[in-house]
Amino acid sequence: MTPTAVWAVAQKDLRVELRSRYALGSVLPFAATMLLAFGFALGPNRVLLQQTAPGLLWLAGLFAAVDLFHRSYRSEADTGALDGLLLAPVHKGAIYLGKTIAATAQVLVLVSATAVMVALLFGLPLLRSPLLLLLTMTLGAIGLSSLGSLFGLLTVLGRRQAALPILVLPLVSPVVIGAIRATATLAQGSTDGVTGWLGVLVAFDAAFLATGYLVYAYLIED
Amino acid sequence: MAAVTSTVIELRGVTRVFDGLPAVSQVVLDVAAGETLWLCGSNGSGKSTLLRVIATALSPTFGTGRVLGLDLRSERDEIRSRLELLGHQSRFYGDLTALENLRFVARLYGLGARRALPALERAGLDEVAGVRTASFSHGMRQRLALARCLMRDPELVLLDEPYAGLDVDARVLVDDLLTDVRTRGRTLVIASHEPPPDGSVSRRVLLEAGRIVTREPVPG
Repeated sequence: MTPTAVWAVAQKDLRVELRSRYALGSVLPFAATMLLAFGFALGPNRVLLQQTAPGLLWLAGLFAAVDLFHRSYRSEADTGALDGLLLAPVHKGAIYLGKTIAATAQVLVLVSATAVMVALLFGLPLLRSPLLLLLTMTLGAIGLSSLGSLFGLLTVLGRRQAALPILVLPLVSPVVIGAIRATATLAQGSTDGVTGWLGVLVAFDAAFLATGYLVYAYLIED
Repeated sequence: MAAVTSTVIELRGVTRVFDGLPAVSQVVLDVAAGETLWLCGSNGSGKSTLLRVIATALSPTFGTGRVLGLDLRSERDEIRSRLELLGHQSRFYGDLTALENLRFVARLYGLGARRALPALERAGLDEVAGVRTASFSHGMRQRLALARCLMRDPELVLLDEPYAGLDVDARVLVDDLLTDVRTRGRTLVIASHEPPPDGSVSRRVLLEAGRIVTREPVPG
């Protein structure tokens, strides 16, 4: 693995995102619309809204992230830039890690902004354990991104965009469940059981990252 | 250490199949160091596929090959570090500037980022170094691809239809840059259905339906 290549890919992806503002311009409004729709569907029952809010936060983040992953690879494929990554004489796992780092940063911003919306719309108290909440969101973002960066490539290579959610959603379930449970507990002002859920997130993040690093070359190479 | 060889490309019975149909079939080809080969043929004759096999972007379905003395299947990254493929697509990011694109390539190839600006100057793009490539014309993107090639200074350059869609000025610049690459003793393979300028190629290989049907020297 070459750290230079990892950072080069991560910085490039982040720079492209900063210029195109796709996450902020398209994906975030999608998450906001989804939250509003759920809010109206659930009605004015404040207790019910607060109980479901952690789940809505992570579901909105998940669906928005899936769109983000597809877009990231679509832009690579449309200009032939994916060929440039393939032909670069670096371990392809380095490219995977670079893309995962950039995706994690974007998903973290996305989930953080969604969390602010959830706090405002549903009155969910999210600042009772801010550091643990930040850790939860970071681990959740790593989990989503490590899978999304892997399967996003598959959908571009196979020209099957519809396959992305089908592939990602079942596998990412443990991460989403862990993140929802940890967020819900923290919002109640408690930390009981949070360590266990964070442990689940760490375990799945490590497994996804290791798998992605090892199999990425087999996916991207002909 | 880089392998020393006088034959840069050696293909033996290389076949590439897509969905059961061969795009290139039983290709046997040798290209010597410093040679400029013109790979010609009509659309769909297999020129691009053959270039992509040589560039290791595609694996041969059957057959064996060595490029720059390295095995086509097992030493792909070593081959990639020593050749450049200029294909139909520019492989640049539209949201990045010309300079940022070249610096990204330089970092991926372990080169100093300082090599990017001189390469842009040689390609006549230094005045637009800070402009996003999304606004570039096809000719400017082609020149930027050549700047990438000049920056890397690879031993083998593979060009896929380098003149397609270029105006007269851009074609002259492409010719100048190719002359520059050739005079430095690099090996060039130009896949094109239109002939390169007189005296620029040493041999012509004609592909039809994925097979080599003619090989002949081109008088200089």
